[in-house]
Amino acid sequence: MKNKKKRAGTVHEVIDSRYSSVGEQRAEALLLMEARKKRMAQVSQMDVFKAKLMRLKLQMEEFLKAPVYDNKPHFTSFLETYIDTLYDKRSAFAKDIDITPVSLSQVLNNHREPKEEFMLKLMVHSERAFKPLGDFHKKMWYQVYFQEKINETMANQEKWRPEVEKKIKFESLI
Amino acid sequence: MKILEVSTGQLLDINITTVAYVDFKVISSKRYFFYWEEEKAYEIVKLTLVDNTDILGLMSFECIDAEKRIHIRLLAASKENIGKDKIYDHIVGSLLAFVAKRAVLKYGEWACISLRPKTELAQYYINKYKMSITGMTLSLEVPEIIELIKQYSHEE
Repeated sequence: MKNKKKRAGTVHEVIDSRYSSVGEQRAEALLLMEARKKRMAQVSQMDVFKAKLMRLKLQMEEFLKAPVYDNKPHFTSFLETYIDTLYDKRSAFAKDIDITPVSLSQVLNNHREPKEEFMLKLMVHSERAFKPLGDFHKKMWYQVYFQEKINETMANQEKWRPEVEKKIKFESLI
Repeated sequence: MKILEVSTGQLLDINITTVAYVDFKVISSKRYFFYWEEEKAYEIVKLTLVDNTDILGLMSFECIDAEKRIHIRLLAASKENIGKDKIYDHIVGSLLAFVAKRAVLKYGEWACISLRPKTELAQYYINKYKMSITGMTLSLEVPEIIELIKQYSHEE
């Protein structure tokens, strides 16, 4: 391997962190995993919550950065993760945002669209839940919801387009 | 994410994106300290200002899924951004935060990033980024990895 560091001296902005052999990597990996398990056992439940919420936030950001046209219910999947991270029972979340467990269940099972009031309550609830992690963008749940609607519409064109095309009487100007 | 322009104290928006094939034409070992083309088997990312294509920092890393860990292989700020006369600060922190986000995204509460700096640099990383040391390896896990992401996210 000719990839040697070029005269950087000892500066903390330049790091060569590669293992010199597979054996060395394996030995260090074993040590590290043991140490991590011990440290993980000491991590508080609150820090585990924070990590789970951070992961959810990053997943939502990824979804918005690179929307996928896969016809899956991302909004409700993120919502389920959010609720299940914070609560043992979903009915407790419903109570905290002052809706019935039945209407929450209908939203989660994609049997009804979330009403605006639900979205607003979710926005305020999330602002509070994500506060220890820095800001959670107020628009995030709305963005995910509407991005999914766009994805769904685009993905299902073969279903809706033939009927809609028949009803549009306007022809192209060109 | 943002980096700090040392002369003005201004925080400037950055992008961290995957290195493209054409980038290797401008990535010299003189300015970036390593022969980065040899890292092509791994993921390599570059840090640039949002309105400028000049590469200010590079990092290669390996996702080790079986261990729920991302190991940083090479990391370098460009030559003019190292030492006390650097033009921009927070390049290393931003690159670490980028890979920390990737680790949390992949591994959740088990997220871990690791690196092995020279012995004389280890203490700097332990102090600055609250890393843990195991043998020769420094690592960042929950909760410190979350703090790093928060610190370098600069969200509005």
